[in-house]
Amino acid sequence: MNRRQFLKYALYGAGGTAIGVSGLGALTKVAPKSAIATTNTEETTVFSACEMCRNQCPIAVKVVNGKVTKIEGNPNDSGFGGVICARGNSGPSLLYDPQRLKKPMIRTGERGTGKYKEVSWDEAYTYIADKLKVIQQDFGGESVAFASRKGPHDWFFRTIGKGIGSPNIFSHEATCPMTRSVALDSMFGVEAIAADYANAKYIVSFGRNWLEGIHIAQTRAIMKAIDNGAKLVVLDPRLSVTASKGEWIPIKGTTDLAFVMAMANIIITEERYDKDFVERYTSGFDQWKEAVKDKTPEWAENETGIPKETIIRITREFAEARPQAILDFGWRTGLTPNDFQLRRAIMIVNMMMGNFEVPGGYYRIKNASVTNRFPEMTGYAKALGAINQPAFPKPVTSRIDGTGIKGIPGQLIPEGDGAVGQIVESILTGQPYQIKAWMVHRFNPVISITESDRVIEALKKLDLLVVCDVYMTDTAMFADVILPECSYLERHEPVYDMSGLTPKYVLRQPAVELVYPDTKPSWQIYKELGEKMDLGKYFPFQNIENYISRQLTPAGLSLSQLKQKGVWTPEGMKPFYLRANDSQASLGNVISKVSQKIEFYSEEVQHATKQGVPQYKRHPQPEEGKFRFVQGKVAVHTNAGTVNVPVLNELMPENSLWINKASADNLGILDGDDIIISSGIYEHKGKAKVTEGIRPDTVFCYHGFGRISPELKRAFGKGINDNKLILNQIGEVGNVCTSMTMVTVKKA
Amino acid sequence: MNNKTAELYLSFAGIFHRPHPEIAEHLEELIELWRGEIPESKEQLVEIEDYCRKYPLVNDRLDTLWEHYIPLFETGDIEAIPYASVYFNDNGLVLGKEAEDVREFYLSCGYVIGNEKQELPDHLAVELEFLALLARDGKTQKLAEFERDHLRPFLRTILPLIIKSKRPVYSSAAKTLEIWQLNSDRKGDSIG
Ligand code: SF4
Repeated sequence: MNRRQFLKYALYGAGGTAIGVSGLGALTKVAPKSAIATTNTEETTVFSACEMCRNQCPIAVKVVNGKVTKIEGNPNDSGFGGVICARGNSGPSLLYDPQRLKKPMIRTGERGTGKYKEVSWDEAYTYIADKLKVIQQDFGGESVAFASRKGPHDWFFRTIGKGIGSPNIFSHEATCPMTRSVALDSMFGVEAIAADYANAKYIVSFGRNWLEGIHIAQTRAIMKAIDNGAKLVVLDPRLSVTASKGEWIPIKGTTDLAFVMAMANIIITEERYDKDFVERYTSGFDQWKEAVKDKTPEWAENETGIPKETIIRITREFAEARPQAILDFGWRTGLTPNDFQLRRAIMIVNMMMGNFEVPGGYYRIKNASVTNRFPEMTGYAKALGAINQPAFPKPVTSRIDGTGIKGIPGQLIPEGDGAVGQIVESILTGQPYQIKAWMVHRFNPVISITESDRVIEALKKLDLLVVCDVYMTDTAMFADVILPECSYLERHEPVYDMSGLTPKYVLRQPAVELVYPDTKPSWQIYKELGEKMDLGKYFPFQNIENYISRQLTPAGLSLSQLKQKGVWTPEGMKPFYLRANDSQASLGNVISKVSQKIEFYSEEVQHATKQGVPQYKRHPQPEEGKFRFVQGKVAVHTNAGTVNVPVLNELMPENSLWINKASADNLGILDGDDIIISSGIYEHKGKAKVTEGIRPDTVFCYHGFGRISPELKRAFGKGINDNKLILNQIGEVGNVCTSMTMVTVKKA
Repeated sequence: MNNKTAELYLSFAGIFHRPHPEIAEHLEELIELWRGEIPESKEQLVEIEDYCRKYPLVNDRLDTLWEHYIPLFETGDIEAIPYASVYFNDNGLVLGKEAEDVREFYLSCGYVIGNEKQELPDHLAVELEFLALLARDGKTQKLAEFERDHLRPFLRTILPLIIKSKRPVYSSAAKTLEIWQLNSDRKGDSIG
């Protein structure tokens, strides 16, 4: 085409209906219409599930003329009471954010320089498939790691990993509450144990912060308990919002296990435990008794910094309230390398109180497969169907993190989770073998895995990094291929089981059409990628509706049924606790241990760690001039996920370093001063928040700030990234350790 | 209706759409058009010519255009968000009332966003493309109305941002568009 002809041809050459040169142009000719149709207001409510954090609360999405205008709690779910949190409310601001990812992109410049070109989905899939094929041929499928934030997308995402024979598939749980899961599994044979906070009379928290680390149903239950007169005791080096609602015990960091063992010591000495429960339902009490026999209140005072009188008083108050007394098992990152033993000890003390399967205690989650074990509960609900896949190739090596290997702590790591921090180590050290490619879905290792600089160093060494997300995250900045997922308000997802005291199924369904038309839901992304990689047979469904129907049909339900209310619970079924009316009822149907006992002493744990019952291990305390650096959640943000979401960023754009007034005075630091925090290896700038609400030997910041990606415009460089300072120490069961780093602080 | 107006609008639409091989290949044609119709933009045209000389191959041009288009318009820390709604609504989000208004305007003139090449209705390039079509079809009154109510207020906000970005081609093209629009204002008539 000659010069000057191009524009003319574009204007006139395609039949006059559209600008038709090679698809340039966005508009198409139709019959003119007046806009009358849109002056009628069309208002609907779509019942779906939130994804501003992992809790997936049921929501009611108000849609006016095809636009989401408001998100509220789903009134059809009584457990949530039609309530959601500020993050849940902010959904529309993510949905309509101009900063979202809009098209697949392939890197054109050096890693981290942000130089990309947009490509079609097919080009992106082809690029990934070709690269993975070469890596697989040269280094084996095991050299490709997969990591995601745990969620309903995992079935599809993980299928790619299993399909290429990689054993190295990880969730984010090691950076979250995995130690608790390990503890529960080792004692009950199952992780699905929950607490009935609402009916408790006495609740002791070890750093658990329901009013800032919000889980709507649990936060409401805690508030209900407090309203009903329950006592709340919070052991935390920092005065959290939750601590401010009860008795704050500023415990010395990393000594929680000493407090719990001293409680056990007092309870045994004063014979305040439920002997019948212990005898009937548990094993290993004698070994536990032996382990705590010298863990006296005096000893614990020395360890924890808490006066022995306080330890004794709290223990007695707690025991008085049994069985409606809960020592909370926590839901947060591991504090120390042996954090899982703290969680085990907490659950042992709980079980000494006989607070299992009674109101105000702990209970086994009653999903359909559990309820159907009880004749009087049979028939209320049926389990969801599974989508069967052909056998996957057997991985030729074991995992890089030792998960599942007998005789080492890795034996205890949940296979579906793994020790995600090990991916970084394997990339950098080649041990136990080299990871060459990393597929990342809705996870941000640069901020979520400790020692951010090392994570970045590792990302730069990869042959292939693929990131699927809604934003250009700190990790996406280093990716070779970026895949834009649509938001949770625009997609279906497999139905998930959110059973509590009764079975419950929740649906996520699109409230509106795609805002950015070239984004896709994860099920479609991985199905299409799988097909490009000749793994199509592992995705044996036509579309997500078909997938969901195959889940629901065996449960006697249909998609249209779920769409109406967004949530399903069996009609007429009352919450039930096995021991509510019969303290000697059999627990055989809810404990999954071969021994049929709740195992205080675990052969498996003994085999893996040589500590069949929890033993105390003293961790270093800060030397003179140093502080223990701790972190935690804030109510208006979700970890590494939301700091760039417009409304939430406005609510809290940055964090600061909490430092005790006396310590700050010693260092000449005033509230609001610029400071430098140093771990000895890394330094970080920040601002000081001088307060009485923290121990003098501890400093604290909220997690998820100080973002590295300049693409996260609103969050870039604002505040402190705690994980830049925290060392990538991998705990005994693969967990990150967030309370083990000591820092110095000085005025900038 | 002046055919040149249609060509001019289309030329700017082509620039501000996502980088496209046809545009990359025909950049010189756009320069020629602008030189003839917007002679005051000499300085900017020299800049774009330099760019063309530096990147004679279409693929190289495309790669560098992407390199600048993405941070300028597309994702992450966007320097000049190309959607009008973002500037006209309080909350800075896309698909606000302005998007709905322009979509309705397109529809009233017989245009919709095509199924394949989907884009938000208030994207800068789509608005420019729409005006090219109105100019081509001689719809003077509608054109003037759209310019007055939608395009001009949008350009007043976004062009300074694009110019400020100093991104090759885009910054110069934005300045050229600004000069053209100013000239039209000075003439006191609607373009075309
Ligand atoms: S806790 Fe808040 S952010 Fe999390 S799912 Fe529930 S409403 Fe959404």
